[in-house]
Parts: sequence; structure tokens; C-alpha cells
Amino acid sequence: MNISTPAALRTDGDGPRFSLRRLGRIIFWTVLTLYGILTLYPFLWLLISSFKTNADFYNRPFGLPETWHADNFSRAWDSSRLGTAFGNSLIVTLGSLLLTLFVAALSSFILARFQFRGKGGILAFFVVGMLIPIHSTLVPLFILMKQMSMLNTYWALILPYTAFALPTAIFILTAYLTSIPKELEEAAFIDGTGLWGLFFRIMLPVSLPALSTVTILSFLHAWNDFSFALVFINKTGLKTLPLAIANFADGYQTDYGLTLAAMTLSVIPTIILYLLFQEQMMKGMTAGAVKG
Amino acid sequence: MNALRSRRFIWMGLGPTLILYALFVFVPVIWSAYYGFFNWSGIGEAKYIGLGNYAEILRDPVFWRALKNNVIFVAASVFGQVPIALVLAVLLHKSNMLQRFLRSAIFLPMVLSTVVIGMIWQYIYHPQIGILNFLLDALGLGSWKLEWLSDRGIAIYSLIPPLIWSYVGLYLIIFMSALQNIPGEIHDAAKIDGASGGRKLVSILLPMIKNTVQVAVILCISGSLKSFDLVYIMTKGGPAHASELLATYMYNSTFTTYRYGFGSAISTTIMLISLLLIGTSQWLTSRKKDAS
Repeated sequence: MNISTPAALRTDGDGPRFSLRRLGRIIFWTVLTLYGILTLYPFLWLLISSFKTNADFYNRPFGLPETWHADNFSRAWDSSRLGTAFGNSLIVTLGSLLLTLFVAALSSFILARFQFRGKGGILAFFVVGMLIPIHSTLVPLFILMKQMSMLNTYWALILPYTAFALPTAIFILTAYLTSIPKELEEAAFIDGTGLWGLFFRIMLPVSLPALSTVTILSFLHAWNDFSFALVFINKTGLKTLPLAIANFADGYQTDYGLTLAAMTLSVIPTIILYLLFQEQMMKGMTAGAVKG
Repeated sequence: MNALRSRRFIWMGLGPTLILYALFVFVPVIWSAYYGFFNWSGIGEAKYIGLGNYAEILRDPVFWRALKNNVIFVAASVFGQVPIALVLAVLLHKSNMLQRFLRSAIFLPMVLSTVVIGMIWQYIYHPQIGILNFLLDALGLGSWKLEWLSDRGIAIYSLIPPLIWSYVGLYLIIFMSALQNIPGEIHDAAKIDGASGGRKLVSILLPMIKNTVQVAVILCISGSLKSFDLVYIMTKGGPAHASELLATYMYNSTFTTYRYGFGSAISTTIMLISLLLIGTSQWLTSRKKDAS
């Protein structure tokens, strides 16, 4: 019954094996540190370079700026209409987020709790829809919206963002609701609560954890989207943040510090949210990707 | 009465979801299949030309270049992202401060807009102020300096590092949660048998998370069909269509020359290709399951 003793002795007593392990440790930490630097350097470079003048880009590409030009930020803000773009992104993102949450929660409540004819067909409808690659709808959606005179409105973004967020949202919410016992609702139902009452007063609060995953997914999708905005919006006053930044770069190509300052400003909100909710964001995006 | 009320509730609740989803996801597919048969510039009369657009696509060398580039992107994701993420997942499985920090850093590009990521990498490759060329100079490798994004031969390969860099975090988290689900006894057994490091990864851990790796590969395939933003921001498909993907090919063919019929035909083609790919990969995985 002493089988494990010689094995333990062998590992601890063996000289070369020990140094091999130390070598392994050194390689391990070197690889990790190098990868970490590689991963973070582009962001660090972006931040530092936002304070630079053009001369600094040539003279000290890796160094700190000679003088820190914080005015790059205020100039970028003023000359790029970044404020308007922030506002547009906020309206479009919140609009599609609220619509997605409400519509998806209601549908998931029904799909998880009611038996009715056609339910299987509806679920299949969503699964088939998820196979459609989002970019292959750009041209036909453009034509469709042109015919509906919807181009260059907030709706041109809010409605497609919602539509494409729906299947993942419904799958996450339905799976969550199915895993929750029905006792609470049954009790409330017997007490005479109507169906809408059940939905608002019991289902919504109960599914908060799943709703927060859906919130993260559709927030990031709408806030970061570029292709829909590029195709459906060309009025300057309606451009969202990613689109405005991309156009700004085209316009100010030779004023590097200014462009980088605008880019830095545009990522600050996302980075703050990421610092606050990183665990939830990682889990949510992974769940969304695997289910979607 | 009650049954009637709940039936009304069911269809009232599902109505908005179904209408939104049908209108913005399914109608475009039908629209593009329909307009694909026409020669149409968006204004005026659409002229029916049968399969003319499809014949033109198949004759167009740019289409085949785009398809090849898409395959390169899939290969880069499968053989770049997946192995790197697997190694990182094994290295980062403990939760001390540094490892948690690195995990967050590696995931960060996932939550940022592709516009900003593409622009950062554009500056890294920049011919005059790009830090990559400065770095090569500093290392005495000045002769390796290249026009990374404007050389027809290498533009598409220059797009691969940013692609891998921005998505590795997603696969890292997917693999980490799969590894965490492996019961502790397996690790103990491996220790007793003297398996550790690379050996343990290949012969014990990898087989245990085989299903997750399969999911990751499918995600790589569908993800590569979605990369439009990165390429559009960094090269717009150029120089001379050298880095065109199917999605940028569709965008450029539709909106630079106002050929909506032709663009619709490309949309339909992309849809068919992706259905074919997904169908094949599903079939392969299900066949493997039957065999084992």
C-alpha cells in the first residue's frame, strides 16, 4: 500500500529533473509576460500617442511625448462632432437594447411557459435565421429600407440591431426560465394575477441574471457596430461613434495625434464598463458566441 | 374564456418578435434571391437577366480571390487562434493576480469596436510612422521593412495578426471554462501517472475537451464569414482587390458602382456558401459522434 512513496521520492530527490522544472517555470513566465506585453502594447501606444505631436511620431516612436499635448483631446472633440456621435450611439444603443429586452423577455416567457400549436415551428424559425450570415443581408436590407424610406433615421439601426439580437436573447432567456420552478407563478396566478401582471411582476424580476447577459450582448453589438451604420446612414448628423471615428480618420489623416485622441475618447466608455463588469462580459459574450 | 385569453396573450406577445425577425432577417434573404435575377441600378426599371449575374460572379477573378482570402482567414483562425488560446488557457488556469490581469487584457479587444482595433493596427503597419517598421530598424532588420498593407502580395497576411489578436480572448474563455469542468480526479490521476506539461495537454486534456474544440472550430468558420469591418477599415479590400473578402467584395460591387442586382446575387451566393459550410461541418461532427 505504499505505492506512492517511491514516486514522491523520485520527483523530489532527482537533481536534473528539478532544474528542468525550474527551466520550465522560467520559460512559462517569459512566454506569459511577452504575450501580455504584446497584447497590451497596442492600447498603451494608442493612449500615449494621443498626447503626441506629429514630430514625436517620427522622432520618438516608442518614447513618451516631448510635451504632453492634452489639447489634442479638446481639439478632437470639437472638430469631429464627437459629441453628436456619442449622442447618436447612445440613442440607437439604448433604443435597440430596451426593445430587445422587452420583446425577447415577453416571447421567452411565452415559449417557456405555454404549450400551443406552432411552438416547434417558431423555434425552428429562429434556429434557421441564426444560420444567415449577418453581412449577406446588408445589400437587401439597404434596398428594403430604401423602399420603406427608412434610410438615414434612427430606426434604420434600432430595428435591425434588435432583430439580429433576438434569437440569441430568446435562447438565453428561454433556457433560463425553463430551469426555474413554476411554483411562484402558479401561486400568483391562483391569487388572481393576470398574465401581464405575471410577466411584469414575477417573470421580469426572476430572470434578471439572464436579462443582464442579454443586456451586455446587445449593448456591445449595437455600440460597436460599423457595417450597418456604414450602409444605412450617410447624414453627418446621424452618424454613430464607430462611423464618425472612421470618417474622421479619413479627413485628418495627417494629423496623427488628433485622430488617435479621437479614438481614445471613443473607447473610454467601453473600457470603463469593461473594468466594472469584466467577469459578466466575458461570460456573457462566451455564452452568446456558443449559443449564437 | 381563459383559454381564449391566454391564446390572445400568446400571439400578442409573440407578434412583435415574429414581425421584426421576419422583416429584417428573412425578407432580405428573399429580396436578394429575387433581385439577383435583375440588372438594376436602384433607380429606374429593373431588367430581368436570368442567371446573368451569377454567371458574371463565377467568371469574376475578384470573386475567386475573395473566396480564397476567406479560406485563408478560416485557416488562420483554426490554426492560429485555437492553438494559442488552448496554450494560454492551460497557462492561465490558476487565478492569481497576474493571471487574472492577463486574462482581462487578452479579452479586452473583444469588447472594443473593430473600427478602433483596425485603426490601431493600421498605425502599427503605417509606412512612415508605423511602429513595426521602427521596431525592425531598431533591431537592425531594416531590410525586412515592408509596405505591409499596400503590397499586393502580403496585404491579406498582414490582416491576420490583428484578426488573431482580437479574437483569441473569446476562445481563451471558452477553453478555460471547458478545462474547469474537468473533474479534479483526472488531474490527480495524471500526476500519479507522471504526466505533466505538454504531454498532459495532448494526451489527457485535449481529448476531454474535444467537443469544445469542435465548437470553437465551427465558430472560427462562421466568424471568418463575418469579418467585414476589420478588412474594410484597414484596406477596403485593396490594393487592387488583393485583400478582398466575400463581404467587402459584395459591398464594393454594390455601392461603388450602384449595381444592386449584382450585389444581391453576391449576397445570395454568400448565403449559399455559408449554409454549405455549416451543413458540412455539422454533418462531419454528427458523423464522428455516430462512429465513436
